Amino acid sequence: MKLDIPFIWTALVSLLPAVPTTLKITAVSVLCGFAIGTAVALCRMYRVPALHRIAAAYVTVIRGTPMLTHLLILYFAIPLAVDGLADRYGLAFRSAQIPMIGFAYLSFSITAGAYLSEVVRSGLLAVNKGQMEAAHAVGMTTVQGLRRIVFPQAFAAALPNLTNSLIGMLHGSTLAFTVSVVDINAQAEILATTNWKFFEAYLAAALLFWGMTVLIERLSALLERRVTRYNRGGVA
Amino acid sequence: MIRLQGIRKAFGKNEVLKGIDLTVDKGEVVAILGPSGSGKTTLLRCINYLEKPSDGEISIDEFAVNCRKPAKKDIHALRRKTAMVFQQYNLFRHKTALENVMEGLVVVKKLPKAEARRKSVELLEKVGLGDKLDAYPSRLSGGQQQRVGIARALALNPEVILFDEPTSALDPELVGEVLAVIRKIAKEGITMIIVTHEMSFAQEVANHIVFMEGGTVVEEGPPKTIFRSPKEERTRQFLARFTSDSAYSI
Repeated sequence: MKLDIPFIWTALVSLLPAVPTTLKITAVSVLCGFAIGTAVALCRMYRVPALHRIAAAYVTVIRGTPMLTHLLILYFAIPLAVDGLADRYGLAFRSAQIPMIGFAYLSFSITAGAYLSEVVRSGLLAVNKGQMEAAHAVGMTTVQGLRRIVFPQAFAAALPNLTNSLIGMLHGSTLAFTVSVVDINAQAEILATTNWKFFEAYLAAALLFWGMTVLIERLSALLERRVTRYNRGGVA
Repeated sequence: MIRLQGIRKAFGKNEVLKGIDLTVDKGEVVAILGPSGSGKTTLLRCINYLEKPSDGEISIDEFAVNCRKPAKKDIHALRRKTAMVFQQYNLFRHKTALENVMEGLVVVKKLPKAEARRKSVELLEKVGLGDKLDAYPSRLSGGQQQRVGIARALALNPEVILFDEPTSALDPELVGEVLAVIRKIAKEGITMIIVTHEMSFAQEVANHIVFMEGGTVVEEGPPKTIFRSPKEERTRQFLARFTSDSAYSI
């Protein structure tokens, strides 16, 4: 077998149409996961009655099972639930109308939420308790204090871990192929089997992922410089 | 007028405040003295509900909070009537000196930004930091940070400013600049309650001294009486280290 270097370039170009799918899955799951994670972290930190137990259970169950398993379980559970409900209430909606990518969005958001909740929690814990006390002392409510004082600092502290999670989800999004979503990796596989050039196609996919990851790393570094501006050039 | 009645606070089984009564008149500067663990700081933190008292009543003028069943809005109202200067400064770390002072004015008092800024600049100049408006706390010395903290408290125009050992975290060289600022605002007739270990400062600035130990007020009165002729043996013992000449002999 010989490496067909020009084909890597051809493959790279033909993988491009799948990039938006990968990006959409990543963006949706990280954004929704961040929202879920923030809510879960707050429920746990403030020990919201009942909810904090549910939140803790959610984190241990989801982190305790693989991302691929979440996707597969939802893939079979949702049609069952949707069609069951539709039958009971006489609705015309059928689970077959749900786009495949919808399963990936939902499932990966749930996965990301569990991991991100710990990232958010570590960020919140990194903020000195005195910050919220000072916010209260100047007359702010807890919500105001969280929004204006604690979150910006927690975000700065959590950013390196958030970037990690974002990259993890970018790469994890490749699992969407199991529910017939054609992302970069799935497109590479199609390309590979039709041209009988597996190595080249997967190399092209790898290059594409690496490129996107470098981009994320750069953006994250820029953002980090911005949000931690207040910490530089001084002590403690 | 601020009145505390029967304030109790327990951390688990450890009762830190055993029913404190205290009245502070408008314009009065009260210094709370006492050994470590006597409950001074806890008492101070109860006044703006950073600690939740288990029993008692806190009132500021006509406004009263029953600590047995405080409403959320009462706690909020209480905090808006008070301001605090912390031992560890607790400046908002992601905000500049100016933003630190403006924050409460804009967010809590809903002042227009321009007016909040004008007032904040004025206050920072007053505490001698007119040239540090745009500095982040990490670039300020402890003394400078604490003076920003004082400006932040003053900006809110509170009924009372609570000082929690405002100079304890400072190195000796910087204590003076902070005390000078507190001395200056004390003269303006702002009601203050100060928990401190700076005895001579307390004697000089306060017009009422409260001596606490073991969660109770042992003795209170004007500085002259407390420092020169305390009635209680325990007060005498505590202050002896400070008043006698042999205070720090080794």
